[in-house]
Amino acid sequence: MQMKQCIGLLAVGVALLFGSCQDNTYIIPDGVNSLTNDCLKRSLGPNMVGGSIEFAYAMAMPYGSGHLVSASVEASIAGADSTYLEHRSFHTGDSGEDVGVEIGSPSINDGGTTTVTFTKDTVAATLRYYYMIPEEARGKQVSFRFSATDSNGKEVSYDMGPYSIENMDMKLDIELSNNSFFSIEDMAAYTADEAAAMPEKIDLVYLHRVQRGIKFNHALVSPTAENVAAGYLPNITLPAGLDKSTKLFKSYSSCDQQLARDEYGVFVTDRDLSEFDFSICSNYSIGILQRNGFWVETADGRYRAYIYVNEATENRAGMTISMKRLRMQ
Amino acid sequence: MKSIIKKIFLLLPLVLAWTACNDYPIDEDGLLITTRSECYVSSFELLGTDQRSVIVDVATVDTVAQEIHAEVNFGTDLHALWPQFTLVTDAKLEPKVTGFVDFSDLDNPRQWTVVSGNRKVRKTYTVYLTVQEP
Repeated sequence: MQMKQCIGLLAVGVALLFGSCQDNTYIIPDGVNSLTNDCLKRSLGPNMVGGSIEFAYAMAMPYGSGHLVSASVEASIAGADSTYLEHRSFHTGDSGEDVGVEIGSPSINDGGTTTVTFTKDTVAATLRYYYMIPEEARGKQVSFRFSATDSNGKEVSYDMGPYSIENMDMKLDIELSNNSFFSIEDMAAYTADEAAAMPEKIDLVYLHRVQRGIKFNHALVSPTAENVAAGYLPNITLPAGLDKSTKLFKSYSSCDQQLARDEYGVFVTDRDLSEFDFSICSNYSIGILQRNGFWVETADGRYRAYIYVNEATENRAGMTISMKRLRMQ
Repeated sequence: MKSIIKKIFLLLPLVLAWTACNDYPIDEDGLLITTRSECYVSSFELLGTDQRSVIVDVATVDTVAQEIHAEVNFGTDLHALWPQFTLVTDAKLEPKVTGFVDFSDLDNPRQWTVVSGNRKVRKTYTVYLTVQEP
């Protein structure tokens, strides 16, 4: 009896298995029979004034049913003058490289609308759009309407966004020479003479020293009398009026892809800067290494920044930094 | 016979649970209390805010005097350092290290207590720092 029950159960199981496999037949979907479009955002990370937002806009229609006439993008806030829609359609080549094929005349900007008129008889194209973020968009949101028309007069459109534009600014590859004076507000380095003319703007001193027995090398130090007394500013004569104690919190490894450019998927945003806790921090840093990062707040609290050290060779003076800076007040 | 087997199977989990609770006691932190009475720090490390060591060479751990001596790099910010203790098996540290610690008051060095695996031996270690001079 038990053997018969086992055989029965086995048979039921096999039957179910076959039945389940046969039920799931694949149905080929209907093909596209008219003009259609799609869009994706290519750029990652926070959007900043002076930077760009990049999209890829694809449009296609069945072969033999006409051809594409034009493609345009309307931004809710007009982009900077250098905003453009590619007049080349890109596809991926055999080696993975981008291959562009010209399909129309260069784009024309009219207010917030950027248009490309097709000059080639084609039924499919993928055009890239580079929205150059203007000053007017700072702290606001911007959205986009992509549209395409064909020779039959049909128009399709695709909405993207809204995307937030950060309040912060970014500056890449700032060269610091030995014994230079750095301003967070200006995101620039100055000589001692220049610093003497505008002491209220100087937040940090960059210096490089090789001292026997200690790891001094590259240093960023607040220009205070205490730091001079502690020996953190050797052989530096501070111009009159320099006395700001700038808050520094040292980190290591990249916190930002846009600054480091050799890291991926990590970004410093307005929110990171505005919410950073500066209760544990110093006002100097000695022995700075390449890939160090610094969360910085100016003495008056007006600016916060994230500084990334792109290049700092151990026994050679000079350092290259990139930074994001947010005005707090 | 069948009813006896059933009863055994019913009682077995209870017996196992009872013995388990008695054989493997845990402390207030949920850590296993063992039979080990060894109680010492085997090594010590100190990290800056960038999570890199600030100690010049290696820290010296004196398990007899219960002292740790370390020289930190010139320019180390003593206000925010993260101590890392390596302890003997099953021991734990009090107070727990949960964040950056202020070592700037060199005249009043920081102390931590090592508690043995059986939680019966306690030894307090003092961490003495000196700052490298140029």
